[in-house]
Amino acid sequence: MRERMERALRKSTVEYAEIRLEEVSSSWVAFRGEELDRVGSSRNVGGIVRALTRGGWGYATFNDLSDLETRVAEACESARLVGKGTSNFAEVEPLVEQTSAKLEEDFREVPLSRKKSVIEEYNKIVLGHHSKIETSDVAYSDSFRKLWYANTEGTYIEDERPDVTVRVSATARDGDNVQRGFESAAGGSGFQIAEGLHEKAETAAKRAVDLLSAPSVTGGKYTVVVNPRLAGVFAHEAFGHLSEADFVYENDRMKELMTLGKRFGPDFLNIIDDGNLPARRGTHKYDDEGVRTRENYLIRNGILVGRLHSRETAAKMGERPTGNARAVGYQFEPIVRMTNTYIDSGDADFNDMIADLKLGLYAIDMVGGQTSMEMFTFSAAYGYMIRDGAIAELVRDVVLTGNVFETLMNIDMLGDTVEWPAVGGGCGKGAQSPLPVGFGGPYVRMQNLVVGGRQ
Amino acid sequence: MTATKLVEKAMAKAQGAQASLIKTESTNVAFENDKLKSSRTSQTTRVAVRVILDGKIGSCSTTDAGDIDGVVAGALDAAEFGSPIHFNLPGAQEGTDVKVYDHAVLPVTKEEMVHICEEMLSALKGHNADILVNAGIGKSSSSAEFANSSGIQFATETTSFGGGVSGVWVRGTDILWAGRGHGSRKRELDHLAIARKAVELFKMAEKTAPAQSGEMPVIFAPEGMHVLLLALRMGFNGKNVVLGASPLRGKLGEAIAHAGLSITDNPLIDHAAASSKYDGEGVPRQVTPIIRNGVLENFLYDLDTAGRASAKTTGHGIGCSPTNLVIDEGDTTYEDMIRETREGLLVHSVMGLGQGNPMSGEFSVNVQLGYKIENGEIVGRVKDVMLAGNTYDALKNIDAIGDKAEWVGGTLLTPPVKIRGMSVVAK
Repeated sequence: MRERMERALRKSTVEYAEIRLEEVSSSWVAFRGEELDRVGSSRNVGGIVRALTRGGWGYATFNDLSDLETRVAEACESARLVGKGTSNFAEVEPLVEQTSAKLEEDFREVPLSRKKSVIEEYNKIVLGHHSKIETSDVAYSDSFRKLWYANTEGTYIEDERPDVTVRVSATARDGDNVQRGFESAAGGSGFQIAEGLHEKAETAAKRAVDLLSAPSVTGGKYTVVVNPRLAGVFAHEAFGHLSEADFVYENDRMKELMTLGKRFGPDFLNIIDDGNLPARRGTHKYDDEGVRTRENYLIRNGILVGRLHSRETAAKMGERPTGNARAVGYQFEPIVRMTNTYIDSGDADFNDMIADLKLGLYAIDMVGGQTSMEMFTFSAAYGYMIRDGAIAELVRDVVLTGNVFETLMNIDMLGDTVEWPAVGGGCGKGAQSPLPVGFGGPYVRMQNLVVGGRQ
Repeated sequence: MTATKLVEKAMAKAQGAQASLIKTESTNVAFENDKLKSSRTSQTTRVAVRVILDGKIGSCSTTDAGDIDGVVAGALDAAEFGSPIHFNLPGAQEGTDVKVYDHAVLPVTKEEMVHICEEMLSALKGHNADILVNAGIGKSSSSAEFANSSGIQFATETTSFGGGVSGVWVRGTDILWAGRGHGSRKRELDHLAIARKAVELFKMAEKTAPAQSGEMPVIFAPEGMHVLLLALRMGFNGKNVVLGASPLRGKLGEAIAHAGLSITDNPLIDHAAASSKYDGEGVPRQVTPIIRNGVLENFLYDLDTAGRASAKTTGHGIGCSPTNLVIDEGDTTYEDMIRETREGLLVHSVMGLGQGNPMSGEFSVNVQLGYKIENGEIVGRVKDVMLAGNTYDALKNIDAIGDKAEWVGGTLLTPPVKIRGMSVVAK
């Protein structure tokens, strides 16, 4: 493959060009209710050529790998149409590396029948949990992504990116009241990730039934404690996206707003993105333009100290590339993305965080989040009211919202342990979704957070 | 035809089969931060096979059009212990013709697309030079083949063309994003009207207006209607109905909304983005009234789900999802809706939709782009505001429906709708 790619790249007529090819084999099995809902597999091959000249990019994406030279020519022609200025593209050392995935149990050798029987057990647990369980959605999916990357600077990388995900969703119903409990497990280390999740299935079913009798949270402003599984998505939405340099690098006002050295939070707040952590969901040795991933402090002691870059945004801002140019698949060019983002630990104990609260909200587990840079939302799977320093009643429909320029400053306590839930998580940006990312954090307490709901 | 070959190959072992092959070529140009940034050409191929073996179904797909053996073998493997089948493959039926191809699309050059972007960009910059503008235009053409073992065999050619413009305006720590876009199967695109609408969104946001917490009327602009439609889309999906997950199960013939509300799924609108003559199972598309005068009339079904529900497919295979949704116009002008609001919100877009338990109808969202109405006038943009409610309550609580529908994203045609009272939590 290397020779074919390098031969095609020699036809490049622009300043810089690269080819990324992928072969993705996937399979899936899912139950909804008593019946098997879908079972199937796919094998997709495709690639993208990216060409840069005079600051303009040309992209050619394709499924047909037979004529790479033509695709290189197409991308070069597109780049020449666009390029009118000067290219900014940070220097990196060319490298050659072939990495292969280490799987404890290779899911490609597991027959579909066994994948089916594993999740059938979880499905039975969900459906048998309670008479109010109406239906289920229990799904197994895996994919094995093989990548080939070569550029005109001499870099050549082969990489393998396996993923196994199990999602267990239980639906409980009481008349018109329909509630859902959800659990997942995901990772790249092999088929064993999908096994032994009986407890998660039980938990999802129990939560769906419990939520039937829980009231919606009353809307208003609360002191909120979020658990580690929600803290990570908070870090991702509340601050992570704003640290992506492509939102900043060509916008002078955003640059002013995001000047390094500016205070965003209290002294004890540290937020880090690290694509090089062992065995996390957003971990890769190299990003999708051949740059080594690394630890990047975004906020250190409450101060903005760094941001996430591609080679282009780094050059334009006079900073170092950080290994954060990622693409969700061969159909797309790499753009600036997070990898594994977390809030570092503080020194508080959970009980101390709730002890002095007359009225507060304890928000648990994430179902999602979204940001428009300044304002953001993140949603909890469920929560409990905190009354007179103790956990009180279960509540549902817990959606929190904040403003990046205020909410981080309102963090007043951090728990003493960072946790990394091994759940499936994906991030969307522009048309590229879902990109595997890791979320981590300790218990986090925030003052004056707006919680949506009826009053 | 490749699809026919795939079916023949599968039928050596299977008792039924369907196959499709779709090839698409597209070209796009994109402006970022006021400058032409990139141009893209894309070529995609997708082959999909579904087989029936001993009453069970399996599927497989690939991007490798040469791998006929592999994709058929994959589907047969899956079918060995696949999901039980509840339908018979349909035979050939003549569908209703609908225009899905426009000869004017393919000849559009990249230079013309750049020019369209430039005109949209100048419209925004002309309004306010401080807005950093992104714009994009794309064209594509597809050819599709479909065949099944009961004698269906057809090929279609489609085109699409569309684009939009958006901008970000930063003032102090205030960051505002707004934009508009449209896509259809024809070349015709009123890009200047798109740009004018985007400018209007920025104009209305020049001032920020404080919002108070409380119960107040909310006007959903056409693009804000997704807030109300999300639960409904899931609710009338036949699969959710069959499984009992939909709160609408058992409610056919009941009034579930204000008598002025009618919603129709219409895949037969010429050149609309989701229009087609046949669905993904070779069944002719048809117009399906979902809610008429507030009464729930139909769910959307594909073959398998219809079989399980003892109903007939509505031509929504595979997956029971809507095509083009059309909401009937009412009799209130947009201007009157605003004028008759003493204190309320106008909602264009939200964040956090669908994250909780959307099937139940509950939503609790941040108003990403919305405006405060005071004494019949829009007085400015609201920020840090949460809007909460339940779709099914809101539909019964409609105060007015606009007299002019607009396309949103190419697959939803809706007027603005005013809800009498919803819960707002402000900072």
